[in-house]
Amino acid sequence: MRLARPLAAGTAAAALVLVVGACGSGTGGDDGEATIKIAYQKFGNFTQADELFKDVKAEYEDANPDVTIELVPIEASQNDYFTKLALMQRSPSTAPDLMYEDTFMIKSDVEAGYLLPLDDHLAGWDEWDQFVDTAKQAGLGDDGKTYGVPMGTDTRGLWFNKKVLAKAGLPEDWAPKTWDELLEAARAIKKADPDVIPLNVYSGKPMGEGSTMQGFEMLLYGTGGTLYDDASSKWVVGSQEFVDSLAFIETIYSEGLAPTPQQALDPNVGNTVSAEWLPADQLGIALDGSWMPGTWLEEGTAPWPEWTEVMGTAAMPTQDGQEPGAVSMSGGWTLSVGAGTEHPDEAFDVLTMALDKENSLRFAIDNSQIAVRTDVAEEPSYAEANPTVPFFSDLVEVTNFRPATSDYAQISNAIQVAMEAVMTGQASPEDAAAAYDQAVVDQVGEENTTEG
Amino acid sequence: MADVAAPARRTPAVPAPARRSHRPSMAAPGQRLTRMLANLVLVVVGLCFLLPLGWIVLASLDARATLVVDLPDEVTFANFTAVMTPEQTWVPLWNAFVLSAGAGLVTVLAAVLAAYPLSRYRMRFNKPFMYAVLFGTCLPITAMMVPVYSLFVRLNLLDSLPGTIFFMAATSLPMALWMTKNFMDSVPLSLEEAAWTDGASAMTTLRRIVLPLMRPGLAVVFIFVFIQAWGNFFVPFVLLLSPEKQPAAVSIFAFFGQYGSVAYGQLAAYSMLYSLPVIGLYVLVSRISGSGFSLAGAVKG
Amino acid sequence: MATLAPAAAGTRGPGPQASRGRHLRRDARRLVPLAPAVVLLALFMLGPVLWSFYGSFTNAALTGPAAANPEFVGFENYANLLADPDFPKSLWLTVLFVVASAIVGQNVLGLSLAMLMRSAVAPVRAVVATLVVAAWVLPEIVAAFAAYAFFHADGTLNSVLSGIGVAGPDWLFEYPMLAVILANVWRGTAFSMMVYSAAIAEVPPEITEAATVDGASGVQRLVWVTLPTIRRSISTNLMLTTLQTLSVFTLIYVMTGGGPGTDSSTLPILAYQEAFKFAQVGYGTAIATVMLVIGAVFSVVYIRSLKPEVD
Repeated sequence: MRLARPLAAGTAAAALVLVVGACGSGTGGDDGEATIKIAYQKFGNFTQADELFKDVKAEYEDANPDVTIELVPIEASQNDYFTKLALMQRSPSTAPDLMYEDTFMIKSDVEAGYLLPLDDHLAGWDEWDQFVDTAKQAGLGDDGKTYGVPMGTDTRGLWFNKKVLAKAGLPEDWAPKTWDELLEAARAIKKADPDVIPLNVYSGKPMGEGSTMQGFEMLLYGTGGTLYDDASSKWVVGSQEFVDSLAFIETIYSEGLAPTPQQALDPNVGNTVSAEWLPADQLGIALDGSWMPGTWLEEGTAPWPEWTEVMGTAAMPTQDGQEPGAVSMSGGWTLSVGAGTEHPDEAFDVLTMALDKENSLRFAIDNSQIAVRTDVAEEPSYAEANPTVPFFSDLVEVTNFRPATSDYAQISNAIQVAMEAVMTGQASPEDAAAAYDQAVVDQVGEENTTEG
Repeated sequence: MADVAAPARRTPAVPAPARRSHRPSMAAPGQRLTRMLANLVLVVVGLCFLLPLGWIVLASLDARATLVVDLPDEVTFANFTAVMTPEQTWVPLWNAFVLSAGAGLVTVLAAVLAAYPLSRYRMRFNKPFMYAVLFGTCLPITAMMVPVYSLFVRLNLLDSLPGTIFFMAATSLPMALWMTKNFMDSVPLSLEEAAWTDGASAMTTLRRIVLPLMRPGLAVVFIFVFIQAWGNFFVPFVLLLSPEKQPAAVSIFAFFGQYGSVAYGQLAAYSMLYSLPVIGLYVLVSRISGSGFSLAGAVKG
Repeated sequence: MATLAPAAAGTRGPGPQASRGRHLRRDARRLVPLAPAVVLLALFMLGPVLWSFYGSFTNAALTGPAAANPEFVGFENYANLLADPDFPKSLWLTVLFVVASAIVGQNVLGLSLAMLMRSAVAPVRAVVATLVVAAWVLPEIVAAFAAYAFFHADGTLNSVLSGIGVAGPDWLFEYPMLAVILANVWRGTAFSMMVYSAAIAEVPPEITEAATVDGASGVQRLVWVTLPTIRRSISTNLMLTTLQTLSVFTLIYVMTGGGPGTDSSTLPILAYQEAFKFAQVGYGTAIATVMLVIGAVFSVVYIRSLKPEVD
């Protein structure tokens, strides 16, 4: 900024910038017509948002001829999606008006000034009280204002292929009580058929937040440990629970109970798990999200009608079976309005259409989300569409939420680095945990950490 | 990137081997052995170079392509028809064309204008300027992408095709300017002197006399910039964000990320479609400048 | 191709009778056509370089409070860089990559190919030259896919190896640096081969023939006659391949993504990851600045070696 001025000082340079800039910002529409740009992820098996927004665009433009909706489907893996979205938000010419935003990014993006507070708009929206309170919490910024309207929430647990488990002599209602029982089952599967991958736990940088949340935090929050001490508002460093969780990762990857590290470090592995390995009986147990059936439904990218017969579910056990016996993590996605939007009213209007009862129900079913609107949750078609809904909804009782701070996104990166170092054998769990501690201190400052 | 060999500019227009004829009649037995060995080694090296290339060609025609080079059981064009949709292939290829042709035109225009005074007048300014240009050819553009991104945010040029075109033109300008000046130096001044005596301005003589004489050279410069821009992945990957503006290099990478581990055949077919234009241009530019080898300096995709 | 003529033959100097003021005015007028080039270079080459120095002293980020208001943090990024174990490792990997694939691989193989081709029969020469050049003409990302397929655990290399009874390792995972180095040799050798072919063609045949008559062996002729004659081509080619290889991003990014862990994260990959993946733009810019300085040092060496030709 300080350098831009002298650089552009030459008149010729300024003229060039003007010309180029004018050509570049062809998306504006100031003559009473509004263009609403919606950014969302579209990657591999995840096409549900794309389908939803395509229909919303058609429907909304029909009803409002003076509004044009521009869809920006970002074709990138989950980790790259945040990068691309942040790159877009950074510049006024590319910042979306409406975006599909992971709840864990909200506080960070609020502090970056990317998101618009919605309280005034929400006050005038009569359907807002249909949304359950816990889900509303996820859309809050540090200032207590609401920056995102939830599209759905989720929980996580163990999915298993009953056919694979049967070969290893494990029952259809298999339910491990401790990590050791889980490992024993994985070892039994490997023994019964060495070609089958016994257990998938996401790990490493390519899977991004999926590694942190579906993988690491499902372990850590089952040890009694935590990443962030809410009472003192400090990040936990030097905790044995952290080392134990990494040790679990080390165990499964070094014993060959997990995919090979190269398979696991493919950014596409999430798609492979749901669309290939599980339907083809190549994977025994998957620590994964409640949204998995979204891929297998008739409208999904890899329809698999038999999944209701073949797949079983079990809660992820705590480390030694300590209370409450099971663990889960919850996240979810919201729709948020960009802070720089020229048409906040129209953008919010589109949002309310995208998340009205009908569209929320549809997204909850298609993407196997846990409904966040009470009217959707009560809808019979919602429960009928997916027999695992009751199971994953019950996990809400033992679920945990990620630290709600703006630093979380950076800490999550450090966790992925530690996981990758351990799974590839580059560092012991102790060393990787120590490197993580250092990264946390660098990020938040020593005064904001506490020994665990 | 800025990567052109200066030494190659001294390359003769005639292909190297043609200058020195072989004299097999004089070859001693020892030399014959050397020849055989040389041929053998070359064949082995050639095979090593062939294998990775062969995969792209064979997999693109194979209905059940894997990662291994293998003759297809049945030859099919299904991979090509599968990816030849507007969204998947034609729009990204068109974007790549717009970017490459735009960068080529801007570069050639700026290079010709700048080369004229540098070539025709001896000024104190020339030497430091040419040094600066030479320095510019060497900077690692990859290293600049992070600051370039920040700069583009400030100038509000992110996700703008013209902005990206101008940036690509700027990065290839040092080399293009260097080449253009050399081409122009080889156009004799005597022709212009006659025109000057008749009162023609510098710009007129440039347009009427110099440019027509260096058309092949300009074609080489244009194609050189075009091929560079066509193959560039990192610059549009960082500077362009909207899916509908992405050139083929980026969309092919997205395809690889999403379906690359399953649809090898389609990935290979897409790669073929994307590579053919530059291979054709390379052949063309080899014709123009007499020999592929003399291009050592000119092209590096 | 154009020749690097010492200067245009007919360059006109200012007449001795012209006054100084008129020179300046006339020079200024003559420089006008340079404006578009100067503007482009200033805005998009010089600008980012200066910005790079400035940005590396800030804590600019993609998200969080630093994204809204980046602050000047002095040398903090550089201090962190030195304390970060990833940085020396990345620096070392970059040196390894450049030395092994460019300085040794491409140059030695390129020179060998150029020499061998002189003894080979025409069809072999033509076919091999086409194959080598083809790898280089392909768009970088396509070359990267081809190399990925070749070195993949289930790829061509391992299937060839299993054909001769060797169980190949998972190259991209167990030996990522070896894989990307070989891939870069495969991709870039054509350049050196062409430069050296051209240079050797210019060695006067009389010299080598005289040496042969004197009883010099093939190796002796190479060491005592050919190499000294083409030493300028060697030095410039070394410099150029070094600079090209220093900025290789796509090949590594596609083949290994810098992994596993950070085992193949050269400086360009590290800068990209820190700036965009981990959203630390200021820190990534500091890495970029280090690369720019390295590149600038090489450039100066290169320019000095070319000095007589510019003058």
